[in-house]
Amino acid sequence: MTHTEVTEKLSDVLATEFEVDRSAITPDAPLMQTLDLDSLDLVDVVVIVEQNFGITIRQEDFVGRNTFADFSDLIYSKINESK
Amino acid sequence: MQYALVTGGSRGIGRAVSVALAKQGYNIIINYRSNKAEADHTLELVRQAGTDGELLPFDVADAQQATAAIEQWQDAHKGEYISVVVNNAGIRKDNIMALMPPEDWSSVISITLNGFFNVTQPLLKDMTRKKFGRIINMVSLSGLKGLPGQTNYSASKGGLIAATKALAQEVARKNITVNAVAPGFIRTDMTEDLDEEAIKATIPARRYGEPEEVAELIAFLASDKAGYITGEVININGGLYS
Ligand SMILES: NC(=O)c1ccc[n+]([C@@H]2O[C@H](COP(=O)([O-])OP(=O)(O)OC[C@H]3O[C@@H](n4cnc5c(N)ncnc54)[C@H](OP(=O)(O)O)[C@@H]3O)[C@@H](O)[C@H]2O)c1
Repeated sequence: MTHTEVTEKLSDVLATEFEVDRSAITPDAPLMQTLDLDSLDLVDVVVIVEQNFGITIRQEDFVGRNTFADFSDLIYSKINESK
Repeated sequence: MQYALVTGGSRGIGRAVSVALAKQGYNIIINYRSNKAEADHTLELVRQAGTDGELLPFDVADAQQATAAIEQWQDAHKGEYISVVVNNAGIRKDNIMALMPPEDWSSVISITLNGFFNVTQPLLKDMTRKKFGRIINMVSLSGLKGLPGQTNYSASKGGLIAATKALAQEVARKNITVNAVAPGFIRTDMTEDLDEEAIKATIPARRYGEPEEVAELIAFLASDKAGYITGEVININGGLYS
């Protein structure tokens, strides 16, 4: 999966799952605010990402990650790690 | 198929809970630490109740053992999940605090409190994903009132009550409930060494409770009907304390 494919898939999945307009999801947009999530919803993001990308995410992976681009970078590197 | 994990399911209250949940149609995953013969007997009773079950021995206080056992179960049951967990494993090591060996403080705390974390944490993601879960923690009168000679036990159960309330708020929006059940004196191996006559005199109902009575309460909390009860501690003690 290329980096662009990861970004596209992540955007599609999150837009559907959290019922937001797909166009609101841009690389620099803050993920939590855009999806209207609070800290208790974070587990949903983890569960959805793990399920869709077949990776495992830990608490420490989130440190310093805010935007959609930050998250697709994380997923992209995790996918390659697990190869 | 719906699965319920009962820790400390080999004897006492855990056995009665396993049977009550089996009657409700659950497949029972019976955890215990060392007593395989008793666990086998629980499994037999579960089968007599009309469902099936399996044994999953591990020490709940040992995070690595617990995680490994649960992950192994999850790997073997792809597409299914444990929707009910009853954190029931527990021990008593009573002593006045001035004479309590440090290891008796730690072992009681780690089985009850760390055991709750070690067993429940690996189940939360699946419950979140499926948007249904029931987490039931076995606490005690001792954790509410505090009993002399049980600083370790009271602390562990009191801590578990607080964790119950906190987790309930974290997961309520996922249709996952978290409750605690606080028995008084129940007739099991754990209370065998106590002076029953003297204790009975202090209980308004004038008798010990039976494991099956506690199990019925837990079966209700595990059911769909109890979906709006969460973060609660429910006493079952014959009027001893409320
Ligand atoms: N009986 C009462 O009056 C009473 C009152 C209030 C609260 N409670 C609570 O109710 C729960 C059950 O009590 P009970 O009276 O049924 O006790 P019990 O008859 O002594 O049975 C204890 C159960 O816990 C298991 N266990 C102990 N340590 C474990 C560990 N480290 N890992 C996994 N399993 C472990 C035992 O497994 P093995 O068979 O392998 O040893 C056994 O199945 C406990 O949490 C207790 O604190 C009991």
